[in-house]
Amino acid sequence: MPSTLRELLTLERLDRDLFRGGNIGRIGGSSRIFGGQVVAQSLMAAYGAVEDERVCHSLHGYFMRPGDVERPIIFQVDRAFDGGSFATRRVVAMQEGRQIFNMAASFQRPETGFEHQTPMPQSPPPEGLTTLAEAQAVLRGEADRPYSTETAFPADFRVVDEIPFTRAGHALSPPQKAWFRVREPLEGLAMHQAALAYCSDMVLLSSAIRPHGVSLRSRALQHASLDHTLYFLHPVDLGRWHLHAMDSPAAAGARGLATGSIYREDGLMVGASMQEGLMRYRPPSENAAKP
Amino acid sequence: MTFDLRAALTLEQLEINLFRGRTPPRERGRIFGGQVIAQALMAAYGTVEDRLCHSLHGYFMRPGDPSVPIIFDVDRSRDGRSFATRRVVAIQHGQQIFNLAASFHVPETGAEHQAPMPKTGAPETYPQASELRAEKVALMPDGQSAFYNYIPVEWRFVDPPIPAEDDPAPARQRAWFRLREPLSEDPRLHQAALAYCSDVALIGAAIRPHRRSHAARPQTASLDHAMWFHRPVDANQWHLYEMQSPSASGARGFNLGAIYSQAGALVANAAQEDLIRFAPDPPKGV
Repeated sequence: MPSTLRELLTLERLDRDLFRGGNIGRIGGSSRIFGGQVVAQSLMAAYGAVEDERVCHSLHGYFMRPGDVERPIIFQVDRAFDGGSFATRRVVAMQEGRQIFNMAASFQRPETGFEHQTPMPQSPPPEGLTTLAEAQAVLRGEADRPYSTETAFPADFRVVDEIPFTRAGHALSPPQKAWFRVREPLEGLAMHQAALAYCSDMVLLSSAIRPHGVSLRSRALQHASLDHTLYFLHPVDLGRWHLHAMDSPAAAGARGLATGSIYREDGLMVGASMQEGLMRYRPPSENAAKP
Repeated sequence: MTFDLRAALTLEQLEINLFRGRTPPRERGRIFGGQVIAQALMAAYGTVEDRLCHSLHGYFMRPGDPSVPIIFDVDRSRDGRSFATRRVVAIQHGQQIFNLAASFHVPETGAEHQAPMPKTGAPETYPQASELRAEKVALMPDGQSAFYNYIPVEWRFVDPPIPAEDDPAPARQRAWFRLREPLSEDPRLHQAALAYCSDVALIGAAIRPHRRSHAARPQTASLDHAMWFHRPVDANQWHLYEMQSPSASGARGFNLGAIYSQAGALVANAAQEDLIRFAPDPPKGV
């Protein structure tokens, strides 16, 4: 069993385009595999089937079934396209013969060109801010459903807002911010990108739930990530602090869309994230009526 | 000749998971990306019942050849109780030109919120893009100035596609659009039409700050396309498309779009990254 992010992101190669990855425990106290892990490992698998120095610039994935933390994951890569500048890979993540996640990703031979970016929003520096564990303890305090022991999140993660995630009875505005960095050494740009993918899935979806006054840990709320999109805009070094500025443009039809901009501590916009999630709310009275 | 959207969205079913789509006759160039997205969505719908698409993610890999049909091969990745996931590979000459993953949801209701619609004038107060002088239109997929006559969409830019002066413009543009010929009430067709429309000018947001009226048209290609359908769509009606580009780097422009009904409902969001290679600036004084 991997115990560090680096071990988690080091896949075993079973055949040329076939890989196996392990799990790191119960992130968020769930027996479901943390979504960011599957995205990050799928990216490492895709990199395992990209032969030259091409760099991932985007990935799009769908979560289809919950991943089981007690089982390894098999990653099968399809070399969909190899062009002069770009390469496209598709990865299917499987457990027990079923697709739990699939992803397409594109890789580009590095080139230069025109540049612009939106400025980084103001934020207090990460040092001294609430840690993820402290923020999750507050959430746990308002949980009305039991869950098991949590595995510590394998990155240094700080929440910026006074009320991160959600708060029962409070209609919060969607925007929220978080800082993250990885303190253990990582190997190569691919692993740094995968670590960014890992961290980009933490907190993000709660931005879409914030306005609706229900706790993430409420029995009445069923929530699950449906997809995950990430753009890599510049090379990343996860040893440095990064700010994830999140928002939610819309929720409707029991789904919510969250978006994020990821900045390096000096203000360079290195990534952009998007995630849609199921957010199904059943007031307690409806639950009580069920057998 | 205007593109026949209804004909393009009517795919021929060859086998249970296999479809063929056609490109209406066109003089030259590559197939417009929005057509391939829309047809791939219809192919996915050919294998889904009683659910509506809520999101799609696609990658453009090779230019589409308008002289031959496109084969759409659908994989039924998952059928759950509420959701279904499909993957579609678009093939020409034995090669993948585009692939798409899409998810479908049994209609449900739930909590709602949305970003407010930006304020603009009414659609009719802006000129039709098809009537703008060619040099005023920043970009068309293959550089044809007739593009806005060709597409089956009435398109009206709120912000001029190329700024009047050579001062840098913000990485943002807005446009009103609606279908020229109304589609029937089938919600699948309207989503496919919206997907088509969402690819029309999104790239322009990234180009606006950099494009100069005297400069050569850059080499462009859409790399990917994503859409999230939040609410039912009626593409026969006017929609406001707010496009912005949070970043450009590495010869790629990253664009986000928000599509509002005229009443102000946010019906969809879009994201697209584009390859944009500018020619070097000409020497001064030339």
